[in-house]
Parts: sequence; C-alpha cells; structure tokens
Amino acid sequence: MRRRRWPLLTVLAFGYAFLYVPILLLIIYSFNESRLVTVWTGFSTKWYVELFRNEQLLDAAWLSVRIAAVNATLAVVLGTLAANALVRHRNFRGRTGFELLLTAPLVMPDVIIGLSLLLLFVAMQETIGWPDGRGFTTITIAHVTFSMAYVAVVVRARLSQMDRSLEEAAMDLGARPLRVYLTITLPLIAPALLSGWLLAFTLSLDDLVIASFVAGPGSTTLPMVIYSSVRMGVSPQINALATIIVAVVTLAVVIAGISMRRGREAR
Amino acid sequence: MATLAERRSLEPWQDPKAVPYLRIDRVTKKFGDVYAVDDVSLEIFQGEFFSLLGSSGCGKSTLLRMLAGLEYPSSGRIFIDGVDVTDVPAYSRPVNMMFQSYALFPHMSVEQNVEFGLKQDRLSKRERSERVGEMLELLKITELRKRRPDQLSGGQRQRVALARSLAKHPKLLLLDEPLGALDKRLRESTQFELVNLQERLGITFVTVTHDQEEAMTMSTRIAVMDAGQIMQVDTPTAIYEFPTCRLVAEFIGSINLFDGKVVATEGDEVLVETRVGRPMRMRAFHPMVLGTPVTVAVRPEKMRLCTDFREDGVNQLKGRVEDIAYLGDVSIYRIRVGDGALVEMTLTNVQPRTEQALTWEQEVAIEWSPTSGVVLTE
Repeated sequence: MRRRRWPLLTVLAFGYAFLYVPILLLIIYSFNESRLVTVWTGFSTKWYVELFRNEQLLDAAWLSVRIAAVNATLAVVLGTLAANALVRHRNFRGRTGFELLLTAPLVMPDVIIGLSLLLLFVAMQETIGWPDGRGFTTITIAHVTFSMAYVAVVVRARLSQMDRSLEEAAMDLGARPLRVYLTITLPLIAPALLSGWLLAFTLSLDDLVIASFVAGPGSTTLPMVIYSSVRMGVSPQINALATIIVAVVTLAVVIAGISMRRGREAR
Repeated sequence: MATLAERRSLEPWQDPKAVPYLRIDRVTKKFGDVYAVDDVSLEIFQGEFFSLLGSSGCGKSTLLRMLAGLEYPSSGRIFIDGVDVTDVPAYSRPVNMMFQSYALFPHMSVEQNVEFGLKQDRLSKRERSERVGEMLELLKITELRKRRPDQLSGGQRQRVALARSLAKHPKLLLLDEPLGALDKRLRESTQFELVNLQERLGITFVTVTHDQEEAMTMSTRIAVMDAGQIMQVDTPTAIYEFPTCRLVAEFIGSINLFDGKVVATEGDEVLVETRVGRPMRMRAFHPMVLGTPVTVAVRPEKMRLCTDFREDGVNQLKGRVEDIAYLGDVSIYRIRVGDGALVEMTLTNVQPRTEQALTWEQEVAIEWSPTSGVVLTE
C-alpha cells in the first residue's frame, strides 16, 4: 500500500518554518538598507560596517565571550567533580543535602539568584574587601554557580551509565586511581564534558537577568546592550551581530558533527 | 602435554607438606547486615584450576573480588605466595582478573587493550610490543589487533580479555564466569582451550562459575558455595560421586534422594528404612548411630533395570514409567514408585529409540548396588 506522504511533509514543513523562519528573517533584514527593521528598501552591508565601528557593542560581545569561556571551563571542572562525588560515593555524610544544593540553581528563578549574589558580593566587599567592585569576576562567579549544576547533571548521567568494571579492570592491571581516571574515565566521559562545556558557554552568553544584578559600571555584557538598545528601537546592527553569531554557532555545530562522525568511523 | 588424568594425579592438596600458593584464612565480608562471604577458609596450590561454584548470590564473586583487591574483607586474611595481601590495593597485587563483562576499554584498540597493563609496569616500548605480539599469537587474535572492542564478536572479545589479563604474566589469574557470555557451542570448545592454556602456562587459575558442567570439565578442584559458606571442597569426581551434604548432591547433576533412618549396621554398610518401601543397604564412609535420620542419595545413571525382582530384595523398587525424556544419547525415565515418589533413571540408548523396551505406563523394577550411592547425614 502506498501511503500518502504530503500530510507528513506539511507537518514537517510547518515545524521547520516555526523554528527557522524568524532566524531567516533576522538574517535577511541584516542586509536591509533601511534604518527601520521592518521595511525592506534594498540590499546593503552597511550595518555590518557600522557594527564594526560600534565599539560599545563589540566590547560587550568580547566581554560576554570571555566570561562564557571562563565560566564554561570552571563549570566543567566543578560540575565534573560534583558528579563524581554523587555517582561514586553513594553514602557520604550530607549527600542528600549536597544533591539538593547542587540542583537548586536549576529550579531557582534567575531573579533570586541574581539578587542573592548581589547581596553576597556587596557584603563581602564590605567585610573582606573582595571582590573589589563588580564586573568580569562577579559575573563569572555568578554564572559558574548555576551552570556547574547543568554540567553536573549531564556528566552525572554519563558517569552512572559507565561500566564500573572498566575502571576496576584498569586498576587490576596496575593503574593507580589517578591514572585510571585520566586514561579510562576521562576519555569515556569526554563527550559529556564537551556538551557540558557548550551548554555552560551558551547559558552564560545568554544570561541577561543574573548579569544585570551582578554587573558593575563598565562591564556590560552583550545581552544587556542588546536589551537596552531594543528599548530605544532596534538598530539593524543588532541583526548584523545576531547573523554573525548564528553563523559562528552553525559552523561550530557542523565542525563538531563532522569530527564526531570521523571519530565514530575510526572505530 | 599432560593428560587430564596425569594432571589430576598431581594432587598437592593430598600432600600435608605442600605449601599453598593462595591461602584464604577465615575471610568474612559483610555488606551492612548481610554476610556475603561467611568465614571462608581455602588453600589453593600452584598450578591448580580451582572453581568456585554456586548459584547467583552465594558470595563466590565477592570472594573472587576480594582476591583481586577490588573488595576488602571485613575480617580474615588473604595470603598469596606466603605474603599477606589483605590490605594491598588491587593495583599492587601480583594477580590479574578477567571480568565477566570482559571490561575491554572501548576507546582503545585490541593491541592497546593488551598493552595497558604493561604500560603501567613501565616496560620499554620494545618489550611491550614483543609481549603484546606474544599474547595475540598465543590466543590467535593477531589479525584483530587494530580493531576496537565493538567490532569484535563475543568469542573474540573473550580472547582479547584473556590476552589482556595474561599479558603481565601473573602467577594467579582470576576468572569471573569466563565462558558465561558465550553460546553453548563456543563454550564447549573454549573450555578445553582454557584448560590447555592453563597447563601450558602453569598459572594458577581461580574461576567463578554457576555452571556445574563447566566446573566439572575444567577444574582440578571445586568449592561448592551457598549463602556465603563453603559446603564442600573436592575434586570434580568426588563432588559428583561422594557429596557430603544434600545441598551439594542436589546442586551437581540430578539425584534421587530417599529420606529415612538407620535401622542396622553391617560392617561398613548400613541398612536404612525409607518411606518408599523396603530397606536400602548402602555403604557408609563413617560409623553411624542407629536411629540417625539420613538420606540415601543415588544418581539416575546408577540405577538399572532389575531382572530378578524379589519381594524382600534390598535396593529394589517397583513402579510405573510416567515420563520419558529422550536426549539422543541417553533417555531419562521418571518412575512413580511405591508411595508416590518419583525416581529418575537414565539409560543409555544402545538400541534405536523405536526398538526400546521401556514405554509409558509400563511396570518396571529398578535396582542399584550398595556402593553406587551415598548416605547423607545433613
């Protein structure tokens, strides 16, 4: 029996349209001549030129990327340690409490996290003199506190799936625990570490609410700049910037995909 | 190469002066309130192929893991070659283990897997590649050396796991269900290969298995375990022919058990009165007090058809054939006797099946000799 295919294809088309038409529009309008975002008057790349002259925007983007990268790296280290503790040590004192604290940032509203961290930073500055003012450091710390929870979830899933006897076999063959971890455990959970890193990076790049609380003067992240400029009317420069970000992300995903496929074929 | 019989004739456990290679001294392992291993003592000698046999959860794997150093005893000591290794961590023990799941490292090739243990010993690159080559050769897997574990069949994985655990030339190899993951055919051929390998290398093997057939064919001695305790330690023949308790008798092969009590003793034989009818006369290995509750145990293949059934004959039973299981080489007959008990008898199918004498619902008489069974007191 021949099945009619068009209903399924229609649904698929709608699904893709729903996901990608907005992004497509954004890209198209980044090449618009007009100052108004919604009116098409002709092709131009002038907004890209202006974007690269807009130092405020570029500085914000650079700051965001730096914060995101440092945050992702720290979050992977801490999140992996936490996941290890939870998976490998079933009965340590305060395990339930630790688990609760670790998952709290996942369900806590950003506003509360942001406000509580702001209060903490202010109190710390008054009592011990650190952090001196708010900016890169405070935003990074704030981001690490919640993104390490996400990393821990991802890594934990992978770790608990892993066959324990692999580590035991390595130990039986004479490898000390640290060596076992470096040569067996880490390579096997590497995919989780990578996706945890990307997740943390994205979360940080994305965050507006928490950053707004713990940022100081002179440390404005990209989402903060975009948000404040949108309130005064969107400049097509934002479209241009968004297009560049989309292009970079797409490239990264494609490269990751290819290298993963290569890795699988090599096996 | 020594034949099985020659190998078995070297029985160091019979020699009071022999020094055991592995000594387990009153080892107990508790998980919470549960005794996984309960006061186990064993002596295993150089060159033995020793099997720990028992159903799942009997503590055999825990015992093996304690020998590997992956688990530490709650009490008791373990000595390897005279050295107390009880508190020595796994990575410092002169012991290697083959895991039930094989535990091959999925991100390494066959070659790298085998080489892993040698790297930990800081052998030079040349020595390592020599040893790897030797191991791959030994297990006939040289052509697989660039493959990854997920590109191997079950049998190939088993060989790689074996090569990896032998690469460091351990004096003692622990094997956790070494043939458990193989299909029946492969299992049978691998059994013999494993025994040959063990003989050739002169390594002491301690294996864990739940498969009694496997334990019987491969081992020099078997320890039957139940609920964390050792029920009997002996050669496969002795375990099969002369079990010392009901549990061992029932665990290995099938057996007919007749409960009763001792009514008379005549020399080294006892007369036992059972519920199924006339008294049974059996050889006893130690003196028994009159009135002791005992169980007469006779294997199905020790039963034979009786041609001169007498109403007052001993070790004779009359019954009706109820079930016949045809296995090709032998047939198992289940015979309903006197008080309704079922007795199993196996007969070799000398004649083609269609010409066999016995058929369903047929009245038969069976008998056995006093020396072809044992009297169990527990």
